Amino acid sequence: MQKIMIIEDEADIRNELAQLLGNEGFMVAILEQTDTAAARINEEKPDLVLLDIGLQGKDGYTLCLEIRRVSQVPIIFVTSRETSIDELKALSVGGDDYITKPYNIPVLIARIKVALRRCGENTAADHIQVKGLVLNTLKGTLEHNGKSVEATKNEVKILACLMQRPGEIISRMNLIEYLWENQIYIDDNTLSVNMTRLRSKLTDLGLKDYIITKRGMGYKV
Amino acid sequence: MKVKDYLADRQGKLLLHLTAAAAMSAFLQLTGTSGGIVVILLIVWTIGLVSVLVADYLKINTYLNTMDTIIEGLDKKYLFFECLPVPPSNFLKKMFQIFRQSAKSMIEAVSDAEAQQKEYREYIESWVHEIKVPITAQQLICKNNESEVSKKILFQAGRIEAHVERALYYARAGSVEKDFIIEAVDLNEIVKKTISKYRTLLIRNGMQIEVEPLPAEVYTDGKWVEFMIGQIVANAVRYRSDNPRIRFHSERLGGQIRLSVTDNGIGIPPHELVRIFERGFTGTNGRKEGGSTGMGLYICKKLSEFLQIELSAESSENEYTSICMTFPAKESLTEM
Repeated sequence: MQKIMIIEDEADIRNELAQLLGNEGFMVAILEQTDTAAARINEEKPDLVLLDIGLQGKDGYTLCLEIRRVSQVPIIFVTSRETSIDELKALSVGGDDYITKPYNIPVLIARIKVALRRCGENTAADHIQVKGLVLNTLKGTLEHNGKSVEATKNEVKILACLMQRPGEIISRMNLIEYLWENQIYIDDNTLSVNMTRLRSKLTDLGLKDYIITKRGMGYKV
Repeated sequence: MKVKDYLADRQGKLLLHLTAAAAMSAFLQLTGTSGGIVVILLIVWTIGLVSVLVADYLKINTYLNTMDTIIEGLDKKYLFFECLPVPPSNFLKKMFQIFRQSAKSMIEAVSDAEAQQKEYREYIESWVHEIKVPITAQQLICKNNESEVSKKILFQAGRIEAHVERALYYARAGSVEKDFIIEAVDLNEIVKKTISKYRTLLIRNGMQIEVEPLPAEVYTDGKWVEFMIGQIVANAVRYRSDNPRIRFHSERLGGQIRLSVTDNGIGIPPHELVRIFERGFTGTNGRKEGGSTGMGLYICKKLSEFLQIELSAESSENEYTSICMTFPAKESLTEM
């Protein structure tokens, strides 16, 4: 399980964020005393740090420099300051990414995953395997029992979204938002069309009812 | 100053000389001075008068030219009296002193106002940062406790956020402080980020998005432009038609890049089109829909001036509205 350290002095946000990341399947470490940041990082060895800029006492930039002296852990700045100058400064002191508050939560999660992947912790990103189906996101193919079919970009993304969270129901709205995040700007009707085509391809592979529809709730695999 | 104008100012003086010369000639003639001597006296008189006038004219004209050069070269014209050399005559000196006093008090007033504005703006900036903390907490709480109610609250939080953001950029647009960075940014990336930011609103309203490849790099501040495109997108949603669509298209115009954001919405009546960038202008559509503040595009216009972006609009009622942003060529970006 990957561990994320939250450095944030607003208790409400800290706690809610910890709960949210916990629900997403991460382990969470919370840092309240900023003066011990470097030592705590050495001790906890987090896989990623979420760092607020506007901290009491020491600011996030200084803290980032201190952390960089002892560790190469990916650091994502989460901040309510949003000028280009702030962003530039954050990246120049060694931050890996920069997200502004109030954050779009799916985006936050996605960026965390990207930063973790970039660090090589999560290498098997070009194919996902769930219940006997292998989705190759690079080649754009679906494989099952030695048979393989080609899928379109939209179909790959739809499946990727569902297969990343097996067993979980993903609502149509969340699915559409995920696709928009990936520059696929489709509406409800187009999603239905894509879903139907995807289902028939899965049926060809012998995986009828691989995607389960929960009426009024969404889809799951 | 033209010679004619100079002489017109001295009409009385010249008339007096003329009368005095005439009176003197008459008197001398009557008292028996010969005509030749009178003529010589008149010539000497004229030469004296003309040379005095010419010298005076040249002095004044040189000074006026200096004033012209100074005022033209000044960016902040109210600093004029601080730069002006002491004038050549006592009368002008007295005037100069009085004007200078007035200018001093104006300079003080201006710098006071600037300081106040800066303070106010800094307050708005820090207030915006502070208000974002509870908005963020609210979002996280809603997300951690998903229900029909929390979704509604989340939607309202989004509206609050949009208003807060506008207030922030309004404070920035009206400020003399310039805290933007001009750098090469990928237009594609900016459009992508803006769509992502507004995606819930866009999806909820069934908006179709067409992004033509925008392979252009522009020299500007990405964050500011994101905000501007955001306002345009929000307007396109607000004034949408039944099958709403937004198209992003860019083209090269020499060194410049023009991005147009075109919707197929209800459009803007021609007589109102010229006013949409005015402060507080809401128009027939804005009043019909309600909730329009008339600030979004006004702020965009102000920001675009800082970034040297040309902002223009085209529209046809019940057909489309197209807002174009023309980004300056790299070479033409003047020192900011």
